[in-house]
Amino acid sequence: MKRIQIAILALLFAAAVALCVLGTGTLASLQSGFLEFLSPITRSGSAVKNSLGSLSKDLMTLDELQSEDTRLLAENKQLRAENNGLRDLQKDNEHLRRILGYRERSSFRLIPAVVLSHDAEAWWSTIKINRGSKDGIAPDMPVITDRGLVGKTTAVSRDMTEVMLITDENCKVAAKVEGTKEQGICAGVRAPEGELQLAFLNKLADLQPGQKVYTAGVSGGVFPSGIDLGVVKSFHARELDGEAILEPSADLGNLEEVFVITGAK
Amino acid sequence: MKTARIFLLLLILLPLSVALQDLLPSIPPAQERILLLPVIFCFGALALPLLPALFFALIVALVQGLVLLQIQSGQAEFSLIAPVVFFLSWKILLQMASEATHGMSWELHALSSALVTVTLLGGEFLILCLNRGEVPITMTVVLRTGIPSIISLLIAALLYLLLGSLVPFAPAQIQQLRLDE
Repeated sequence: MKRIQIAILALLFAAAVALCVLGTGTLASLQSGFLEFLSPITRSGSAVKNSLGSLSKDLMTLDELQSEDTRLLAENKQLRAENNGLRDLQKDNEHLRRILGYRERSSFRLIPAVVLSHDAEAWWSTIKINRGSKDGIAPDMPVITDRGLVGKTTAVSRDMTEVMLITDENCKVAAKVEGTKEQGICAGVRAPEGELQLAFLNKLADLQPGQKVYTAGVSGGVFPSGIDLGVVKSFHARELDGEAILEPSADLGNLEEVFVITGAK
Repeated sequence: MKTARIFLLLLILLPLSVALQDLLPSIPPAQERILLLPVIFCFGALALPLLPALFFALIVALVQGLVLLQIQSGQAEFSLIAPVVFFLSWKILLQMASEATHGMSWELHALSSALVTVTLLGGEFLILCLNRGEVPITMTVVLRTGIPSIISLLIAALLYLLLGSLVPFAPAQIQQLRLDE
């Protein structure tokens, strides 16, 4: 082995050791920088994905039209296109009204955000949204939809933020059950399947499927009180406590728009 | 020159693969995700000479470490030690495998991509279990480890087909010799 190769090998070894001893602060800054670097790629990819999605929808409409009568085809196509356009507009309109209404009704200061991607990690549940520190977002801010709690912000770059979903094992939320005095800690499971576990309940608690669960809002915590978390699916008593399985209120598998709570109004 | 070209190409492909794997939809039944990073890593580890490949492995380790990084109450659950050790060890193993099989081949790339994916996911799960306690091995865990590995195997073959002409260690003569044997 030549001297230069040995020197490079030594440098590589030193770099590997340096990476291994990086502190949490440096790692957080590196992650923020990495998110910023990825942001234009993720945004462009997300835009292309959305365009491809709408293109495939259009192709399906054309397939349907091919089976129509030949004489009416041109006219029918035009009418269908117009109708589809209007329906889409109506849907958008209703959706925006709902979002705007929720934003105005809400007692929180909300920043609307679009979901760019669902992260590919197997054991964590995270998404990326198109807002960052330039919009006033910081780590540990609650994220919601008009249906309920989504999660909390973790890594924040200038224009992209990672959100840990409530289905992640690490996202622990103090919760209370509607119509009872039961309170517990809600979290996801190690390999999330979309359900939540509400633990540390009284083992004699009389919980029924369909009962709503809200955030309890402990002082100094991330999540304010009263946000819809989910509904009870089942309850079973364990050796020391009771545990309920919840269905999240927000549709976490099909998130498109979310709100980040930056404070109270 | 060829090595530099592959190295640059892989450096471009690396962030693209990270962004793309987040954008790809999950697969039923257990919402398994498609991982592209191990496939790109294996291509680099097999196609590049030792020193550039070690350097590439270090970059992949940094990227994967940052992707996995979760800071909770000021504490990082994963340091970069695990990804650095993981990718450097795999690079050395792949170097030995490449030498034993007289250069890179699509079979070696596909198989190694699947193995790297399964050990990466399995390793992450084990570290999580060590950190948080309990080892809940369920069907979801098995599916989430196994299915991405099989998909990596298929994607690796496809990537080799696309980039195979760039590989300096798989000359047609060697391939022919191996076939004749």
